Amino acid sequence: MTRIQRRTQVLLALGALGAAGMFLGPDGWFGIDIGPVGAAVLYGVLWLFVIHLAHHSGEVFPEHWSPAEKQSWVALVFLALITLHVGNLLLALPGLGEAAEQARNPATRALWTNLGLLIFGWIVIGTMLRRQDAGGVTLDERDLRIQHRAARVADGCMSLLIVCVVVTLFALPEQSRNWLRPMIVANALIALLIVRALVESIYTVWRYGREHGRDPA
Amino acid sequence: MNEFAVRNRIREFRQTRAELTQAALAEACGVTRQTIIALEAGRYSPSLELAFKLARALGRNLEEVFQYAEKN
Repeated sequence: MTRIQRRTQVLLALGALGAAGMFLGPDGWFGIDIGPVGAAVLYGVLWLFVIHLAHHSGEVFPEHWSPAEKQSWVALVFLALITLHVGNLLLALPGLGEAAEQARNPATRALWTNLGLLIFGWIVIGTMLRRQDAGGVTLDERDLRIQHRAARVADGCMSLLIVCVVVTLFALPEQSRNWLRPMIVANALIALLIVRALVESIYTVWRYGREHGRDPA
Repeated sequence: MNEFAVRNRIREFRQTRAELTQAALAEACGVTRQTIIALEAGRYSPSLELAFKLARALGRNLEEVFQYAEKN
């Protein structure tokens, strides 16, 4: 592993710490609200990563990774963060009561700001990687085969999830369904689509990793 | 029942042509170098079109480069 790749790992570890603080940390920790601190660390790391990638273009990822594999790792990181944000919103919405029905409630507004930042960061990093790999083959039949399998696995998981949700809704007694408001259901459906994309991404990365595990090179 | 697998001699034929690196072979066939690595390691079975492209780039017949043989 090169010095640049070690630096990449340090940045990823810092980003993971920031994300953990943002989503899992308690509200108060020695008088510090750990949520905003975690968010600041996470977004700070995101921009440091952009600078790191700009300065050491070809050395940030292992040399034996194909362009499509690099993109799938980037997609996995961003999709995991987006899933955590949406999951966080879904947990917060039932507690908002009537305010949850308004499209511009504080929780939803905060989510859209964070999603906007994440999607912008994803576009910037994705574009930088595409520029680095420009001129050569970036997607071939092996990548397409892996992507096709990943899409099938993700579709299967989504079908299973939908069946589970339907069965759970039917099984719930009527008085337990009063938290089910249209805005919560709408957000849950969006979350389902995001989870499908995340499963696809996890499977893609796992398939590439499995091939490396067997490759002598 | 006997199990069969596609085997190839890409690495062997590539190495007999000293100037043909994995990257050069990948470029000649329109794939990434990582796909050539996976092929040589026997972790990936190519499409028929890619198999023909590889055989042509290596200057061999398809049957010389790929064999459908019983698994060990």
